[in-house]
Amino acid sequence: MALAREVYQAFEDIVGNRNISEDIGVCETYRSIPSQTSAHYGPSKEWTPLPQAVILPGSTEEVQNIVKICNKYGIEFKAGSTFWATMAYIGGDNAVQLDMRRMKSIEIDAKNMAAVVEPFAIAGTIQAEAMKVGLNVQIPGVGCSSSTLASSSGWAGFGPASIFMGANPENLLGAEWVLPNGEILRTGSLGSGDGWFCGEGPGPSTRGILRGIFGPAGSMGVCTKIATRLHPWPGPKQFRTYGKAPAYKADFGDNFKCYTLCYPDWESWARSVQYFHESDVLYIGHRQFNMFGRNLKAFMLNIITDPEKQLSDLPELLKDPEIQKHNDNMKHDYQVVIAGMTKRDMEYKEKAIDYILEQTGGWKHEMMLEKEKHDYALAYMTRLGHKNLNYVMCGAYEGTFGLSGNVWKTIQVVEEASAQKRKWETEHTCIAATGGDSAMGGVSSLGGGGATGWEFFTNFDSYELESVQGTSDMVDENQAFHNKYAFGPDFCRWNSDVRHVNGYSYTQEEHDEMFAKAPQPWIYAYQYKIREAVNPNHLCGSYLRTLSPGKLEGK
Amino acid sequence: MESLKKKLVGIVGARNVIDNRDVLDSYSKDESFATPMKPWFVVKPENAAQVKELVKSARETETPLVPVSSGAPHFKGDTVPSVPQSVIVDLSGMNKIISVNRQQRMAVIEPGVTYDQLQEALAKEGMTLAVSLRPRANKSVLTSVLEMEPRLNCIHQFNYTEPLRCSEVTFGDGNQIYTGEAGNGPKDLQTQWDLGKWQVMSNGPNMMDFLRMVMQAQGSMGIVTWVSLKCELLPSIHKMYLVPAKKSVDLEDFLYKVVRVRFSDKQFIMNKACLASLLADSKEDIAKLKSELPAWVSAVGISGDILLPEMKVSAQEQDIADFAQDCGLQFLSSLPGATGEEVLARSIGTCEGKHWKQTAKGAFQDIFFITTLDKTSVFINAMYELAIEAGYPTEDLGVYIQPQHMGTSVHLEFSLPYDPENTKEAKMVKALYTVASEKMSSLGGYYARPYDIWANIQLKKDAQSYKVLQDLKGIFDPSNIMNTGKLTLK
Repeated sequence: MALAREVYQAFEDIVGNRNISEDIGVCETYRSIPSQTSAHYGPSKEWTPLPQAVILPGSTEEVQNIVKICNKYGIEFKAGSTFWATMAYIGGDNAVQLDMRRMKSIEIDAKNMAAVVEPFAIAGTIQAEAMKVGLNVQIPGVGCSSSTLASSSGWAGFGPASIFMGANPENLLGAEWVLPNGEILRTGSLGSGDGWFCGEGPGPSTRGILRGIFGPAGSMGVCTKIATRLHPWPGPKQFRTYGKAPAYKADFGDNFKCYTLCYPDWESWARSVQYFHESDVLYIGHRQFNMFGRNLKAFMLNIITDPEKQLSDLPELLKDPEIQKHNDNMKHDYQVVIAGMTKRDMEYKEKAIDYILEQTGGWKHEMMLEKEKHDYALAYMTRLGHKNLNYVMCGAYEGTFGLSGNVWKTIQVVEEASAQKRKWETEHTCIAATGGDSAMGGVSSLGGGGATGWEFFTNFDSYELESVQGTSDMVDENQAFHNKYAFGPDFCRWNSDVRHVNGYSYTQEEHDEMFAKAPQPWIYAYQYKIREAVNPNHLCGSYLRTLSPGKLEGK
Repeated sequence: MESLKKKLVGIVGARNVIDNRDVLDSYSKDESFATPMKPWFVVKPENAAQVKELVKSARETETPLVPVSSGAPHFKGDTVPSVPQSVIVDLSGMNKIISVNRQQRMAVIEPGVTYDQLQEALAKEGMTLAVSLRPRANKSVLTSVLEMEPRLNCIHQFNYTEPLRCSEVTFGDGNQIYTGEAGNGPKDLQTQWDLGKWQVMSNGPNMMDFLRMVMQAQGSMGIVTWVSLKCELLPSIHKMYLVPAKKSVDLEDFLYKVVRVRFSDKQFIMNKACLASLLADSKEDIAKLKSELPAWVSAVGISGDILLPEMKVSAQEQDIADFAQDCGLQFLSSLPGATGEEVLARSIGTCEGKHWKQTAKGAFQDIFFITTLDKTSVFINAMYELAIEAGYPTEDLGVYIQPQHMGTSVHLEFSLPYDPENTKEAKMVKALYTVASEKMSSLGGYYARPYDIWANIQLKKDAQSYKVLQDLKGIFDPSNIMNTGKLTLK
């Protein structure tokens, strides 16, 4: 079903003929297999629907005019920036895809530590600009090629540096938003033209309808510009690397150190994490950044950091008793970066780490002190520019489990979860055997600490149906584990209630059926009412979880 | 009126429904210039279930409700009814500390809990709560955090809403939910704790953030009956240093340097009138201090807790002293008329009885808003000019600059002490307050907490936000019973 000519012409009149296409070859490239990472839909063999046209707006005004046309003709729309996630793609047949790549400006207010950015300004570019003025940006786990606007306004937005820099919703200072009804809402001080410095109020904060623990994933219109808080960067003005791809390394000077801190058991591991949550010592903290599990990580670090080595060298390396010793020493570990704002600050942070290790029986991993490995880990953790490695092994990647919340609770079950994942690695052929315990995640998903989340990395082949189905079966089993310990949805199922497995949106009746059973269903009823206020024509798919209030009468 | 009373008695009991004339009079006004309006009743619910029933009943009878949690005196007009026949919902009797969890550094409290009460309970567990500047002893902690009163420490303000995390709220439509992480679990705190959930994460619970519907709302959306709070470790070493300057602008670069690298645990700037009021207990002492203190002072707190406190404090003392020297400033433990210890104790301690700003002349009117540190001098100069034009003694004008949200913005507060018995002076201050409020807005001052006349000033500048706010009001308070008349254009 092609768009009516008058509709297509109306869109073309807004953006110009170079920035719109209904060519089938172009439109086909704007479909997603909902199994790709960050979608957290879980493995699927389906594709999202084919858009009727792809439109590339160049300004907020153009976005607003497009949305008004969509409302006039009843056409669904969805905006995507870097398209890492299936949530960026449309969920119906009568829909157009907005690709925000033309809007990529970055303006930095160095004094007040903020950057005003457009959708296609990726974290790596913002970081490069920020470093020039001694600042840094929080890069979420998805990596530096993700849109900072999207992670701030549209989805989760936490990463290895969140303990120091906060998660991106915490960093969100203000937002300019084209609502689904075509009105433009500017939150906080921006709305009255006073500047980007405060995203809240006046009075109750309208940003509350634009993002919660997650953003609305494109279901509440189009966020066209945000201000994000920046953070101190006491390093060089340029992120200079050395080494050969993909083993890029960096040396930022004496006031940066990257350690792999190891502990004898989970109890001491958690005690050390609590110390870090209660102090201001860490700049970055993350477990198992290199995406290989407990049985392999030291071996794989020797491959990854050496461009002369490749995966086929693994069997030989596994015979090396010295590396095996290193591997055994880093079972209960995480990687940290400390950054000294001054020489004295660095001395304090070094001593603080030694003190915590002393109190918890921990140690710094020796192999990771070797300069090249140190510099590799430092570069990786600081930029998250190696995320392509997620896909190298099998072509597709998913994170499962996602043991989120209280670290003292998660350590009670992590071994059982690891054993379950390991069973699928060894007894089935659907996922890659990545070394057992693959619990991976930031030391805190909140600024200043207080919560953690462990995603178990899973590599599979999205073009091999057996692999897709097997992985999905594994996730079902992991979901049962989550149910048993009240962890909520498995990471792979976070979005299973917002889009059908075939890529299409849910109907209201289907959502009503799901959310009437929620522990606090009025939350979904309020989301329904707010959607009705700003999206009366229901043009942005079903990512916003809603429940018809009529279903709650008498409750 | 009698039938309403009967309904209220049926919900909270006869002893908790008050229609004594003197009591009603006391709730009909505050210390601001807000127009007095006597309520019909004051009710004192004892639990969240009664609050929910009160709201449901008020919807049926279309009775305006005004939630109040702190004890008198009040100063912003937000607790004064704006419409006749209102019922004050006084939550001060709900004053339980529901839980304190050292491992998670979280506390859950009811609306009537005061700072002293909470800090004492937290201290037993080796914790403390980041405070706003010298709160009144009967100030509700819940109201203070819900209304986003700025904390003295912006460094740990990762989220604008810190230290507030989750809440239980009964909206004006009579429905009650938990916000934040707590909204994802069963609606029972004990069950959540048994599951290892301690109401830590503030956003959400889902794709919208309902805490933000009630924050800075002056009770106009619903009534909050508990909040969870992120606590800090109790310092084992706690010091405060003072950096004097002739002009506020001289302190800007210094404060930017300190905040940027996240040193210090408290940081603010005051002029001598404000600092003298903070420190002194009598008019005479204030006058004496004003003659001794430097024109402007930046106060910087440094603390250490359990992790090598001596080393941390020593390192920051030396580094911050270096920053001061780089800016041509002195980093001192005391000044003529004030020591760092005194400023620290006064800043974080509570004040009994009257507000500390009442000491100078008996009454005061504040004007506060949000801006950025580099713009503060523009507002300060404008305020002094307006004061001179109005004939207000500029030596009495208090100025307080509090960085917030990790220094990305500041709360700028002007205080105008006056003698309430002097009709002419009170009239002059009221006129100055009106003119200056408009002027600050025209210069880009942002009234994020738009009390009293600021609602009109701020909301007129942002038609789209006002429209969305009205839509939200219609959703969460469809009968317009929650603090009716607040946050509306007049």
